[in-house]
Amino acid sequence: MVIIKILKWSIAIIFMIIFSILYRTYNPSENIYFPKCPFRELTGLKCPGCGSQRAVHYLLNFEIYNATKENAILVLSIPYIMIGLVFDLLKRPNERILKWRKRLFGKKVIFIILTIIITFWVLRNII
Amino acid sequence: MKKYFYTDGTNYFGPFTLEELREKNITRDTKVWFQELDEWKPAGTIPELADIFKFVPPPIENQNSNLNNMENLIYQKPPKKWLLEAILVTLFCCVPFGIAGIVNAAKVEDRFYAGDIEGAYRASSKAKLWTTIGFWIGFTIFVIYLIYFVIAGAVIGYY
Repeated sequence: MVIIKILKWSIAIIFMIIFSILYRTYNPSENIYFPKCPFRELTGLKCPGCGSQRAVHYLLNFEIYNATKENAILVLSIPYIMIGLVFDLLKRPNERILKWRKRLFGKKVIFIILTIIITFWVLRNII
Repeated sequence: MKKYFYTDGTNYFGPFTLEELREKNITRDTKVWFQELDEWKPAGTIPELADIFKFVPPPIENQNSNLNNMENLIYQKPPKKWLLEAILVTLFCCVPFGIAGIVNAAKVEDRFYAGDIEGAYRASSKAKLWTTIGFWIGFTIFVIYLIYFVIAGAVIGYY
């Protein structure tokens, strides 16, 4: 079981390194070899995830402003996901941590996230 | 005449007759023993002592313990709800699968704090399902493009 776990993680890390090098070196908007968004190909409209490959390219080059222009919620979600990972990794959370976990990742916040994503989806096609 | 003993957990008292025992203010939870019993038993479970508790209302411990459980839930960790993974799937690959994951993450949270632990676990596995489907679709597309990229690069390199 431990060996499988190590194997899994090493494969994941190898892919992450390949992914990072590729996206850091090549700008997806100047290159035809990157996957296209099927929603945009079909409808001509942007989905909430459109621009995330370009945003990752800029983030890996530390150009946060350009990344935000490509996909703002992706950039905004990164600190939130980081905090969430820390909360998930705590094995024996105490009462205060659980209270904050409930506040930051509870039902209300999840619905706010859904609303933000859908609003973003609509707005980026109008503006 | 039958003789009864009762215990407070550390010491035992007795022997008492049924009449004497009646005056000892024992409760249904008090462990009693008499010669026919193999071990100490709660007084409430012995039919011949039922008479003592005729005018004592039955315990309401069931509702109380439920209430305590509900309060304790706030201090427990709900099952994994796949929220972070679902957000990433939404933003990187597959909006419908990601949204299905996020909705189920909300259900995990909702059901867990409503006391429906089993339902929370069901929602958790659903959230996992949608998120992993989304992840593997995205991953497969990425790998296909990666292979294409390498082959195309090699071909261009030749000419």
